[in-house]
Amino acid sequence: MEALLFTQGLNVVFEALILAMLVLGLAVVMGLLNVLNIAHGEFIMIGAYAAYIVQRAGLPYWLAIPAAALVCGVIGLVVERCLIRPLHYEPFETLLATWGLGLLLRKCVELGFGRGYRSVEIPIGGSVSLFGESYPAYRLVLMVVAALVLASLFVWYRRAPTGARIRAMVGNPVLAEAVGIRTRELARNTFITGTALAGVAGVMVAPLTPVEPFMGLTFIVNSFFALVVGGMGTVAGLFAGATIIGGLQSVLSAAVSPTSAYLAMLLISILFLWQRPRGLFPRP
Amino acid sequence: MTGGYFEIQNISGGYGSGRVVRDVSISIARGEVVCLLGRNGVGKSTLAKLACGFLRPMSGAVQLAGVEITGKRPSENLTLGLTYCPQERVVFDDLTVAENLSLMRTDRRLDEFEPYFRAFPRLSERRGQYAGTLSGGEKKLLSFVRGLSEGSAMMVIDEPTEGVQFENVVRMAELMLAQKEAGASFLVVEQNLTLVDRVADRIVIMDHGEVALSAAASELDRQQILAHLTV
Repeated sequence: MEALLFTQGLNVVFEALILAMLVLGLAVVMGLLNVLNIAHGEFIMIGAYAAYIVQRAGLPYWLAIPAAALVCGVIGLVVERCLIRPLHYEPFETLLATWGLGLLLRKCVELGFGRGYRSVEIPIGGSVSLFGESYPAYRLVLMVVAALVLASLFVWYRRAPTGARIRAMVGNPVLAEAVGIRTRELARNTFITGTALAGVAGVMVAPLTPVEPFMGLTFIVNSFFALVVGGMGTVAGLFAGATIIGGLQSVLSAAVSPTSAYLAMLLISILFLWQRPRGLFPRP
Repeated sequence: MTGGYFEIQNISGGYGSGRVVRDVSISIARGEVVCLLGRNGVGKSTLAKLACGFLRPMSGAVQLAGVEITGKRPSENLTLGLTYCPQERVVFDDLTVAENLSLMRTDRRLDEFEPYFRAFPRLSERRGQYAGTLSGGEKKLLSFVRGLSEGSAMMVIDEPTEGVQFENVVRMAELMLAQKEAGASFLVVEQNLTLVDRVADRIVIMDHGEVALSAAASELDRQQILAHLTV
C-alpha cells in the first residue's frame, strides 16, 4: 500500500511538472501578451513530429529539442509578422486567427505525414529502483529536466527586468516606446519564446503519447484549464494550475477513470470561470 | 540657417488624415528652455508627438544635433538623446514606483535617484506602491523624475505640472534649471505660468495649429501671455 502511494505520489508530481511544461508557452503568450494562442497545441504537436523525425533519422534524441525550438520559433516568427501584429495583439481577433491557424497547421502536418499514429520510442529505457519501487527512468529524467527549465525560467523572470518590461509594454505601449523599450521586437520575441517552448514541450511528451495531427487538441484544453485555475501572468499561478489540474487528472484517472477525471477538470474550470475568473494567483 | 540643437522644421501633421499642426518651425539652442503655450486643442501635444516620433509628420523635418530624426521611432530617438514625457498615461500603473524608475536599468538600485527623492519625499515614501495608486500630481512627478534622470541633451515634456502642488512645481523648476546649466535643452508644453516664469528663455504661443507668437521670455509680460491664453 505504501509503495503504491509512493508511486502514485511520484505520478502526481510528474503530471504536474509535465503539464507546467506544456502550459508554459501558452502562459507566456497569454499571461504576458494577452493573446490566447489557440494553436498552442499544434506547436506542441509540431515539436512532437520534430522528435519523431530526429529519431527516425537515427540522430541523438536530445537534438530534437533545439530542432523543435527552431522550427516552432520560425513558424512563430512568421505567424507574429503575418497574423498577430497586423491584428494589433487584440485578444479576440488573435483568438479567432490562431484558431484558424491551428486548423491550417493540423492539415499541413496531415498532408505531410498522414492521419496515422506515429510512435516515438522512449529514448531512455529501463527503470530506476527508488526505495524498493521501480519507476520508469525516462519519467524521472523528464521530471528533472522540467523542474530545471521551470526553475531557471522562474529565476530569470524574477531577476531580469524583461518581465517588468513586457508588463509595461502591454499596459502602456506608448510610454514603453518613450522610455526606450523597442516594443515591436519585445512583443515579437515574447511570442516566439512561447511557440518555441511549446515545441520543446512537444519533444518531451512525444514518447509518452501517440503522435498524430490532432494530438494538440487535448493539450490546449488541459493547458487552458490550468491557466484558468492558476491565474495568468504569474509563476505561482502556473505552478498552482498545473498542480491542481495535472494532479487531479493523475489521481482520478488511477482511482476512478480517465473520463471522470476529465469531467472533474471541466467542473473545476467552470467553477473558477464563474466564481474566480482571474484564477488563484492572478497578476496584480 | 545655422541651426539650433533641436530643430522642428515646417512640421505639419496630426491623427489620420486630420491636419492638426500646420507648418510649425521651432529652433531650440543648447541649454535653452522653450515653453510652448496655447489654449486647449491648438495642437501643442500633437506637435510634441510629431517631434518625438509618436506620430509621423505629413511634411517637414526634425533634427537633433544636426542629425535628421524624422520618422525614427521614439525608442531610437531616446538612444540619440531625446527624452519625451507624455501628457497622459504618464507612468506604468501596473509597476511599482521603484520599477517605473529602474525599468530600463541593468540593476534595480535607486541610488542615483536619491537627489530626486530628496526633492520629492512623497515619491520616496511610495516607492514600493503600484504607480497606479498615485494621485495625478504624484504620477506627473514620477514621470518628470524618470525623464530628467535619463540625462538626455534634449527633453520634450508635455504639461509636467498638471495637478502638481505649488511647492513641487518650484522644485521642478529648480531641477530643470540645474540640468539646463549642464547644457540640456527643453521644450515644455505648459499651461502653468508658475513654471514658465521660472524656466522659460523663450515663449512660443500656438493657435489653430500654427505659431502665433515667438518671443524671448524677457520681452513678454504676464498680461500679454494671458491675453493669448484666454478668449
